[in-house]
Amino acid sequence: MSQPSAHDVIVIGGGVTGAGVARDLSLRGLSVLLLEKGDWGAGTSGASTWMIHGGLRYLEYDWDTTRLSCQDAGHIVTIARNIVYRVVFLVPVLPHDANNIERVDTAMEVYDRFQPLKKAHPHVRLTADEARQVEPGLTADMVGAVTIEEWGVDPHRLVFANVQDAVAHGARALNHTRVVDLLRDAGSVIGVRYRTADGTTTEARARVVVNAAGPWVPEVSRMAGTEVQLRPAKGIHIVYPHRISKFGISAESIDGRDLLMVSHGGFTLLGTTDDDFYGDLDSMDVLADEVEYLLQAFERVFPAIRRFRPVRTTAGVRPTLFRWRKYEDELSRRYQVFDHASDGVGGFVTIAGGKLSMYRLMAEETSDAVCRKLGHQAVSTTASTPLPGSESDMEPAEHLARRCGIPALAVVKLQSRHGSRAEVVLDDSRAGRLVCRCEPLTEAELAYAARSEQVQSLADAFRRVGLAGGPCAGAACILRAAEIIGRELGWSASQRFDAAREFVHGSWLGRAPVLDHAGWAQEELVQGAMRGLLS
Amino acid sequence: MARADSLVKLAWAYGLHLTRRRLSRPHSQLQRLLDTYAPDGLRPLTPEEQERHPQLIGCINCGLCALAAGRVGRTRVPDLASSYLRLYARLGDASSDVEGDEPDWEAAAAACPVGVPLAEVGAIVRRLAAG
Repeated sequence: MSQPSAHDVIVIGGGVTGAGVARDLSLRGLSVLLLEKGDWGAGTSGASTWMIHGGLRYLEYDWDTTRLSCQDAGHIVTIARNIVYRVVFLVPVLPHDANNIERVDTAMEVYDRFQPLKKAHPHVRLTADEARQVEPGLTADMVGAVTIEEWGVDPHRLVFANVQDAVAHGARALNHTRVVDLLRDAGSVIGVRYRTADGTTTEARARVVVNAAGPWVPEVSRMAGTEVQLRPAKGIHIVYPHRISKFGISAESIDGRDLLMVSHGGFTLLGTTDDDFYGDLDSMDVLADEVEYLLQAFERVFPAIRRFRPVRTTAGVRPTLFRWRKYEDELSRRYQVFDHASDGVGGFVTIAGGKLSMYRLMAEETSDAVCRKLGHQAVSTTASTPLPGSESDMEPAEHLARRCGIPALAVVKLQSRHGSRAEVVLDDSRAGRLVCRCEPLTEAELAYAARSEQVQSLADAFRRVGLAGGPCAGAACILRAAEIIGRELGWSASQRFDAAREFVHGSWLGRAPVLDHAGWAQEELVQGAMRGLLS
Repeated sequence: MARADSLVKLAWAYGLHLTRRRLSRPHSQLQRLLDTYAPDGLRPLTPEEQERHPQLIGCINCGLCALAAGRVGRTRVPDLASSYLRLYARLGDASSDVEGDEPDWEAAAAACPVGVPLAEVGAIVRRLAAG
């Protein structure tokens, strides 16, 4: 075992909250070690609906939560301005919906008061005919529709931007590094024992350890000899490799829940379910029933939905705070910071609950709690300090495309991930070659991700730069991508083949629940090609 | 308490809303919607395009049409269907990619194993990219 390192704070969990805490504390001048057992944002954050929203639904429960949520969404929109984008929803109202058009319109009028906090436009009300002009795929059986504007963000890039900035301010951040135990002394937590990707076990000491492990919070708490109880809720999404509509669309499920079809960069997310989850957090299956539940709801408002070909599913578990006797969907998305000194465990703080849209505020409050314990006076600056890539305006895509000799659409996609730092990524002789044409992704960006963005596998590259995220699901690019990453990371030929095989197998698990017969035919093609080339 | 307070405020807002609707004549807000979001690239498909949308986006990027028909401007034909027709909001920023030569659309469509109507794909991408 190597010598232990020493830090002010160790943060366990590299989702958006943990990354946000690491960034906040680093900006306050503390030395931070951030540890993530998988890849950055690979758990709950990555399986979210990719939205920074203001919390319309909280209007029924507590307007202050809506205000707070919109306010913090506004901060995120400011600090991540080059990687967020507007998502405009159409909310069709059908004759037998729980809320009639006047009630829905009223809710939007109230929500409009909070929209300026997050730089969003007020809603618009449309007749049924007007709504079908805007989105011809909507059902004719509609009384009317209203719009609502929220913000979209790639959570993987948001998490990584926080990690990047933490590192730029002195933090050390390790992905694929599992905390196997907490070091304790006289009841207090004084550090962690962790195992890196190469199997090396190391110890690190810190004055405070933060448990930001999302749904794994109870597991980490038990290592400290204390308990935090959650009520984990599973949520799945169906992913289509195109924007089915230019607009997002809302629908009501058979049990009255609000579901969303969200149009993102070049794909559509349809979700989400919300069910109590008692299984293995590291091995989650998407069930055919869950897929059917979502399709049934959307077929009512968007009848052609089954004619579109999904490419995969996602599944994640929300780390919801524990409450008994509540229907899953009514559980609050509020969060709580626990200082376990009150349980007799010193040096240990947990952040639990919450949602992507409020990650910055959660991180600030957690960091405040840490600073109080350390007697550190610096205040948070994350509400106004831009994240990497959002420091300045982006160059017009066509200018950069001409200079670097790549398609303008590839620049558009590159900028959606790297913002104003896009050119740094293209500073490579291979800039002009596309490796993943569906996305489109350049060899230069993929090599940069392996070299400078902690990509250690093809699945990491999928998260970091969208590799194989398009309609071909990797059939046309995965072997070439393994070559490029392998060259950067020093993989042997067999390691490159293994990496491609592992990626195809991993993707399969998310694809199987949504394959129709055309999907199966494509899957045969991919698997056949892999067998031929990798056997 | 917060719940009760919220419901009372919503009920009050509902009353005001109904009164306002009774006293004023509703006017179309469609143009305002389209104008507001045009800079964000939210231009809808036509009803005909929407009806054909599932076929238009059926490309599996096998690359056969590239062998049969070459490029549209600087862009390979399969990229139009697998990439450009994903309706990127910022497609307008990439209009230069699809300016230039017309490929042999008939040959491209004939080579497609999944029947993507490639000439239509090309026309839609160019329309959306042109803004």
